[in-house]
Amino acid sequence: MKQTSQHFTQNVKAALADPTLKIALNRTTGLLQRRRAQVIEEFAEYGAARAAAEKIKDHTLDNLGHYLEQFEANAAAAGATVHWARTPKEATDIVADICKAEGARTATRVKSMLGEEIGIPEALARAGVERIETDLAEHIIQLAEDPPSHIVMPAMHKTHEQVADLFREKHKVPSNSDEIAALVESARRELRPKFLDADVGISGANFLIADTGSIVTVTNEGNAELTVTPPKTHIVTVGIEKIVPSMEHCAVFLRLLSRAAIGAEITQYTTFYNGPKRTGDADGPENMHIVLVDNHRTEMLSDFLRPMLRCIRCGACMNHCPVYAAVGGHAYGAVYPGPMGSVLTPAMAGLKNSKDLPNACTLNGRCKEVCPVNIPLTDMLRSLRARQFDGKLVTPVTRSALVVWGWLVRRPGLYHLSTALAVLAMRIWSMNRGRIRRFPMAGGWTGSRDLPQPGRGTFMQQYGRRKQK
Amino acid sequence: MSDARNAILQNIRTANGALPPASEIEAAAAALIENPGDLRPSFSDQDNRSRFVEKATSERVTATVSEVAHLRDVPEAVKAYLAQASVPLQVALQPRGALTELNWDGIKTHSAPSPNEPAAVSIADLAVAETGSVVFLSAPDAPVLMNFLPLHHIVVVSAELIHRHLEDVFAIVGKAQQDQPRNLSIVTGTSGTADIEAKNIRGAHGPRFMHLIICQKVT
Repeated sequence: MKQTSQHFTQNVKAALADPTLKIALNRTTGLLQRRRAQVIEEFAEYGAARAAAEKIKDHTLDNLGHYLEQFEANAAAAGATVHWARTPKEATDIVADICKAEGARTATRVKSMLGEEIGIPEALARAGVERIETDLAEHIIQLAEDPPSHIVMPAMHKTHEQVADLFREKHKVPSNSDEIAALVESARRELRPKFLDADVGISGANFLIADTGSIVTVTNEGNAELTVTPPKTHIVTVGIEKIVPSMEHCAVFLRLLSRAAIGAEITQYTTFYNGPKRTGDADGPENMHIVLVDNHRTEMLSDFLRPMLRCIRCGACMNHCPVYAAVGGHAYGAVYPGPMGSVLTPAMAGLKNSKDLPNACTLNGRCKEVCPVNIPLTDMLRSLRARQFDGKLVTPVTRSALVVWGWLVRRPGLYHLSTALAVLAMRIWSMNRGRIRRFPMAGGWTGSRDLPQPGRGTFMQQYGRRKQK
Repeated sequence: MSDARNAILQNIRTANGALPPASEIEAAAAALIENPGDLRPSFSDQDNRSRFVEKATSERVTATVSEVAHLRDVPEAVKAYLAQASVPLQVALQPRGALTELNWDGIKTHSAPSPNEPAAVSIADLAVAETGSVVFLSAPDAPVLMNFLPLHHIVVVSAELIHRHLEDVFAIVGKAQQDQPRNLSIVTGTSGTADIEAKNIRGAHGPRFMHLIICQKVT
């Protein structure tokens, strides 16, 4: 997809002006929050599992080279071909070359954010291979020619009414009904023959298992198995951070991933794949290729962004983010939206092209709270802001304001005096009406809501008065 | 091998420093999951079978269950299910001796599932009480698509093969690379999607209905 993070402000304006988007986001984020809360409450061991998951990921990252080489040897022993790619271009060239060598005309695809990250759709188009997205949401956005707006539910920005119109226009045998069940049935009818006729099936992987060489997919639709079993060739593109030591370690993550992502104890289909078709097998691919992708991940290893490599792509952070809920995923202008995206996009595309993202955050900390691997998202966003300041990427006005503020807070006496004066000025300005409609230099705030009238004195003054009593 | 491989591994070494011996890494990894019981749901008040049935028939998983004493009673249970679901008496059978050798009088059977197969019968290799899941290990007599193409998926579950947790299933399959089947699928209910407005809908691409026939004795 085309990155538009540098136009975040314009994107947000457009998103806020779209009334349908607000309806779509309201219908989904609240539901996902409630489902997650319920299933976590029923899981008494959640705290211990979360702490263990964090430690397992850190252990795996500490020994990443060991585990990747172990995975490579085991996957090869199972009959898969393992490829390595430093950049999206290297990765997609490998995919395109395999498609060409196989003379592929069509490729079915299971939703994979890594695939979006490296640009598989564009690479297939360049190679002249027809791409068939099989995840329902990806199918919707492929027909609508939209980029994904959420990492678990890429069509979260669409209402069912919009999907019904889209299917009526694009499906061979569309449904007359706008009911969601009828829309799902229409997609099933449309896609079933395409699953079975494809030349290549392309998937990502939720996990790589080092000591067996397995790749793991997790879906609710069962589209992963239907995508990669019938075609002659199965290609997996996966980020190197997806590795875990063993199937038993993976079990810890399976329990957390489905609970955090969709509020379920387990997803409907979890499959471990070990190489291509074996002697006597009635179905399965003849070739299996696994492309291990870096794309700035090894750089993140030696940076303060290292904990971000623990991410298992559950989407809980965006489901609980007030900024995401207001503007949706497209405004971020990148493959990964929401809090995790605001950390990843600067790491992958450079801070210069995404400098608004770390600032599109209220630092309320809910993302870290709901993160199943305890990634300190707000700390990292704050550090990215500091990096912007150091790299002179902030506007001169912001920069001078921060310099003045920094000077002031290092002089507590002066700081308390000036805040006391400001409070007094605001109280006088409000004329005891309880709220402030307009205030000099605060147009950004008062343009859409009132400022409250401050209390009697600053916090420190009120605190001092109480202590005296 | 490739330049990319060497460069990636070199970058990792630069970031991480020298690795401890493999035995130390393995010991550290094992220590992290030393007490798996602390990290997964406990259901000490329930036996495997009752937990399995409770979870499999829960609102989220939506399977239905019937019980038979012997494997030879399975065809009758299949017939009863198909009749109740108003499905023609015709099924694709997993090409496994234990299943095909049964007396299927009154039901038309075939082995390869068609693209729009109305109903198929499979034997689960294992089952998980914790989540109400059935487990399929692919093999020449256990094709993968058998579990994904039918609209109604009828699964025979042997009561003694219902294990407590996911880890127990992995332990039975074996931990080494050579122990693994080509596909190990953990299937929990039917194909579903929440991709339109986060509403849960059944029968996305795979089965819309799952019926479990719990069998006391397989032999």
